[in-house]
Amino acid sequence: MLNSFPSDSEHLVIIGAGMAGSKLAHDLIQEGNARYSVTLIGEEAQVGYNRIMLSSLLAQNITNDEMALVDTSKMQDEGVNIISGDGAVNIDIEAKCIRLESGRIVSYDKLVMATGSRSRMLPIPGSDAPNVMGFRTWEDVDAMINLAGQQSVSVIGGGLLGLEAAVGLVKQGHKVTVFHLAEWLLNRQLDEESASLLLKRMEQMGIEFRLEDSPTEFIQSENGVVTHAICKSGDKIDANLVVMAVGIVPEVELAKVSGLEVQQAILVDDKMQTSHQDVYALGECCEFDGQTFGLVAPIWDQIKVLINELNGNGGRFVIEPTPTKLKVSGVNLFSVGRIEPTQEDSCIFFKDVGANHYRKLVVNDGLLVGAILYGNVADGSWYFQLIQNKTNISDMLNMLVFGEAYCLSKVA
Amino acid sequence: MSATTTKTTCPYCGVGCGVKVTVPSSQSEPVPPVSGDIDHPANFGRLCVKGSSLASTLKSDDRLLTPIVDGKQVSWDSALDSVSEKISQVVKDHGPDAFAFYLSGQILTEDYYVANKLAKGFIGTANVDTNSRLCMASAVVGYKRAFGSDTVPCNYEDLELCDLLIMIGSNAAWTHPILFQRIVEAKKQRPNMKVVVIDPRETATCDIADLHLAITPGTDAAVFSYLLQRSAAENILDTDFITEHTNGFQGTLDKALEVTPDLSSAAEFCGVSEESLEQLARLWLATDKSISFYSQGVNQSSSGVDKCNAIINCHLATGRIGKEGAGPFSITGQPNAMGGREVGGLANQLAAHMDFATPGAQKLVQRFWQAPNMATENGLKAVDMFQAVEEGKIKVIWIMSTNPMVSLPDTAQVRRALEKCELVIVSDCKAHTDTTAMGDVLLPATGWSEKDGTVTNSERRISRQRGLLPAPGEAQHDWWAICEVAKRLGYQSAFSYRSVNEIFVEHAALSAFENNGKRDFDIGHFSQMSKEEYDALVPVQWPVPKGRPEGTKRMFEDGRFFTPDKKAKFIPITPQLPINKASSEWPFTFNTGRVRDQWHTMTRTGDSALLTKHTDQPYVEIHPKDAKMLGIGDKSLVRLISSVGEALLKAKISQGVAPGNVFSPIHWTQQFANSAVVSNLIPQVFDPLSGQPESKHAQVKVEAVNDVSYGLIISAKPLSNLDFIYWCLVPSDEGYHYEVVCPEGQSVDSIQSMLNKEEDGGEWLEYTNPTTHQVRLANVVDHKLTVAAYLHPKPESISCDWLESKLVKSEPLTDLDRMAILVGIPSNVEDKGEIVCSCFQIGSKQIEKAIAEGVDSVEGLGNSLKCGTNCGSCIPELKQFIPIKADLAV
Repeated sequence: MLNSFPSDSEHLVIIGAGMAGSKLAHDLIQEGNARYSVTLIGEEAQVGYNRIMLSSLLAQNITNDEMALVDTSKMQDEGVNIISGDGAVNIDIEAKCIRLESGRIVSYDKLVMATGSRSRMLPIPGSDAPNVMGFRTWEDVDAMINLAGQQSVSVIGGGLLGLEAAVGLVKQGHKVTVFHLAEWLLNRQLDEESASLLLKRMEQMGIEFRLEDSPTEFIQSENGVVTHAICKSGDKIDANLVVMAVGIVPEVELAKVSGLEVQQAILVDDKMQTSHQDVYALGECCEFDGQTFGLVAPIWDQIKVLINELNGNGGRFVIEPTPTKLKVSGVNLFSVGRIEPTQEDSCIFFKDVGANHYRKLVVNDGLLVGAILYGNVADGSWYFQLIQNKTNISDMLNMLVFGEAYCLSKVA
Repeated sequence: MSATTTKTTCPYCGVGCGVKVTVPSSQSEPVPPVSGDIDHPANFGRLCVKGSSLASTLKSDDRLLTPIVDGKQVSWDSALDSVSEKISQVVKDHGPDAFAFYLSGQILTEDYYVANKLAKGFIGTANVDTNSRLCMASAVVGYKRAFGSDTVPCNYEDLELCDLLIMIGSNAAWTHPILFQRIVEAKKQRPNMKVVVIDPRETATCDIADLHLAITPGTDAAVFSYLLQRSAAENILDTDFITEHTNGFQGTLDKALEVTPDLSSAAEFCGVSEESLEQLARLWLATDKSISFYSQGVNQSSSGVDKCNAIINCHLATGRIGKEGAGPFSITGQPNAMGGREVGGLANQLAAHMDFATPGAQKLVQRFWQAPNMATENGLKAVDMFQAVEEGKIKVIWIMSTNPMVSLPDTAQVRRALEKCELVIVSDCKAHTDTTAMGDVLLPATGWSEKDGTVTNSERRISRQRGLLPAPGEAQHDWWAICEVAKRLGYQSAFSYRSVNEIFVEHAALSAFENNGKRDFDIGHFSQMSKEEYDALVPVQWPVPKGRPEGTKRMFEDGRFFTPDKKAKFIPITPQLPINKASSEWPFTFNTGRVRDQWHTMTRTGDSALLTKHTDQPYVEIHPKDAKMLGIGDKSLVRLISSVGEALLKAKISQGVAPGNVFSPIHWTQQFANSAVVSNLIPQVFDPLSGQPESKHAQVKVEAVNDVSYGLIISAKPLSNLDFIYWCLVPSDEGYHYEVVCPEGQSVDSIQSMLNKEEDGGEWLEYTNPTTHQVRLANVVDHKLTVAAYLHPKPESISCDWLESKLVKSEPLTDLDRMAILVGIPSNVEDKGEIVCSCFQIGSKQIEKAIAEGVDSVEGLGNSLKCGTNCGSCIPELKQFIPIKADLAV
């Protein structure tokens, strides 16, 4: 099939209409681009939605209309060719063309891989059932919202996503059990004490937790549907739905088969270029300097870099450390840097359990190296700056945990 | 009914200032601040800060409201029965000396009179002593040795009229502030007036001194011995006066020449420069109108009487007595120490300025009282009395309005004595003192604002102390309680006074009984006064004999004294050093005194938060060199150890004390601090003549207390189980404020358990910072602060007023307040409200503010606050803020 774009413009194709791909297309057009005609290809029916909001959608805090990350109809008016519900299955790097699921062929001058990632699925015996799912897409949310009656749901993984899924499901009246292999929830972002505050809060909402536990097997009914989960202890609990929320796996199959260089994800350089000229990658499917990406901030940076690159303006991507700022069903969390102290570190604590307010600062030799805030996270950005800028905090130690206003009024 | 204004006298020091108190008609209204009585000759309307703060002590906190026997509330009848039955029994089984009264310069003359009468005339023991023993007993004996009577020759006017005022062992600036202010004013009017301060310490009184002699502690007598011999050498003696009105001059002069032969030896003994002693000598030689003004620094000494006589000798030798602006002037510390002396309320007095040794006195008093069991010899003075208690010789002791567990030397001995005593009766207005803690029977007494009677100040001026407020609970006047016991002992007719004026009239009649000018103390003018006249009594200086209603301004104007031959006596004096000497084991010389805004054992002044602003904690003053040598920092905790006990105090590094010397104020009891009773350190050394303890002297060692954390606790409720190394209750208007010291690294749990009982519940806030060694805790119940504790490695100040304002009475705490409480200072943090945009930490209040300022879209919010421009997950919430404005607009 021939392109309908004017022949004097180059054709930029973006595979993946998730947050990274959609925003790239949107921003490129916004910049008043005249050099490229843009095609955005998505395998999902919905294009350009804010994946972060899936939790809110599940919790029914927002409506479908509020899911939009970019205004796709406006983008189309401005000439972006959006292909949805039709994933790419093959790329001919030499011929510079892409075959879609539907058989359609799209050729490109420049290609951007924005294939994102998929839910990681644990290979637990019995998990090969239709009612074992991830929590990644609008479809997943639809499936959960459409769950009839009061069901027993097992959520595997007490990370952010698992907790959001659990909250959304328990709000719909389902009986939710969260399995979490570590000793405490959000164990990569929180310490035991802040996690216990979170746990208490979640338990008050009616969610059951099985810490240091993971199902060893799912029992399926005769028709191949999971009905029960077997716990480490041998306990057998009802499970009409299993949601896996144990992390993400970069989606790199297409890249691999197309001959792009892939390790954990698609390797890119600091201009977001892959091993092949005219092929770029960004977002959760790319790997730079040994790192992959799961938070929006660096990905937005990648978009800026890539737009500059495409426009021939230069610019290089560098990884900026990113603090984790989370909001789990109304509870603010902030976590940055080294949160488990080494022997040389000291920890400053502020605890106000009654007000659900907790702060832990990890300091080392006059520097702040890590922080956990729970409840009141107002000073999170400031602590992040102190860590980033390697500010000497020796003079602020006696006020540091109380935040910026106290420290600055003292120091001034 | 309108408010009534009453004139009365201040209950604090021996100046005896007149006070005007306006009592509102409604009991629910607080008494407004008192004012000075401009008609009172002691103060002419002025009041010091203690006096001015009297209204703030009129609280009902911790009043003893009912009699208590063995820990149980009982009726007065039952308590009085227990007391009188026990007294009857021990007197019957062991004789009258098995009973003792230990009284106080705070009770009124009438209380004193009936106690003395009951003991010496009816029970038959002279075991009646008083805390005045600790205050001016040496001055009494000094006067008696010289004049034949305990007669203060001077008056306050003399202080203003003199040209040379020598203040010895007195920090009047703090202890007698109104007299000091009169002196300051006089010196301002007459700049030629010279003031010399003789005191080992550089005190606030030195501010007006032309000369300060920082003598070696205890060497005062040598100064005056030297002045005597210089007076002779330079021919300023009043030889006519010496010849006509004195005995014993030559022997006394000879002794002075022997012990202080010249300037250099005297200066060396006293530890002062020859120049400064010479300067004093020149002033003394040149100034006829000289007053020697002395107080506890002279009296509280193992040779206190000799020091008094060394001073008096100089005045007698120069005739500087009985004249305007001249004389040896002892100033008392208590409001009615003088009244006690007048009734004979000391173990070595009989009654009405008569002694057991006065020929015919016992019979005279017996006749007057119609006493069935007249005591015949001196009783036991305070220290001996408590030793006799410990030895089991005294089996019943009635302690009235005083706190010997704090004020007597060697507190451990006093404790042993009271523990051993078969019956300890304590009359007090406070429920909890270190001494009521030792009582078997507690009798609720009226306090200053309720008591009614007379007091005598340091210039012999009798003033009325008038009842202003009704007695709370079942509190009764001390005289009533004594009379009720007397009646139960079978002495109805001698103790059936219907009201207090009848006691005063009897006291006046005894003073005049067969007196005829033989005895100095004669207030016969009052011996028939009516109740109306008594109530209207205006301040007057005794003697007030029949026919001289105006009283007597100055004594000995005629050169006639109260010895048998009417001549005063010179007493040869050999200056003595304190009994205990510095040694390598006990290198520091310990001195005691007072602070400006506290009085005695703080049972009254401790009720006023204002009065603790000046000095909030017990301290030990130490010279910077010594502090450095011992590794002691300012305000850090210090342990003082003597041969009899120890105390824990905060260091106050100051050049006011000489190297090798330390000083502490006396006020803090176990009600206010766990280990700050300085009497713990004082051995029971006393003057053999006066029995007055050497309370201003002990030899101690001084140690820094290391590896500790310092802390502050504020609490809505009093805390009872404070198990700290050190704690001190700092009176406060809101709640309870404690300063504490605990071992470094004391566990948070153990502190929590001290601050809060489990049943109190509540939420704990906690701040721990190992980098600065800070630990802070607070407990919140129903959004109100109940208790907060702050610990830090060094003594430091945290603003308490704000914290105290957050105690339970205040508004519910906001989340920012909660954190601010652990910060210890008010929250000046912008209240962002609930965080809406996590990425940029933008809160609801910021958003509302932006909207109020005209932002009307999510995009607009993003432009102004950046909220919603990163992950965008807050945009739905942001949207919800927008219509709020539309609603408001409608």
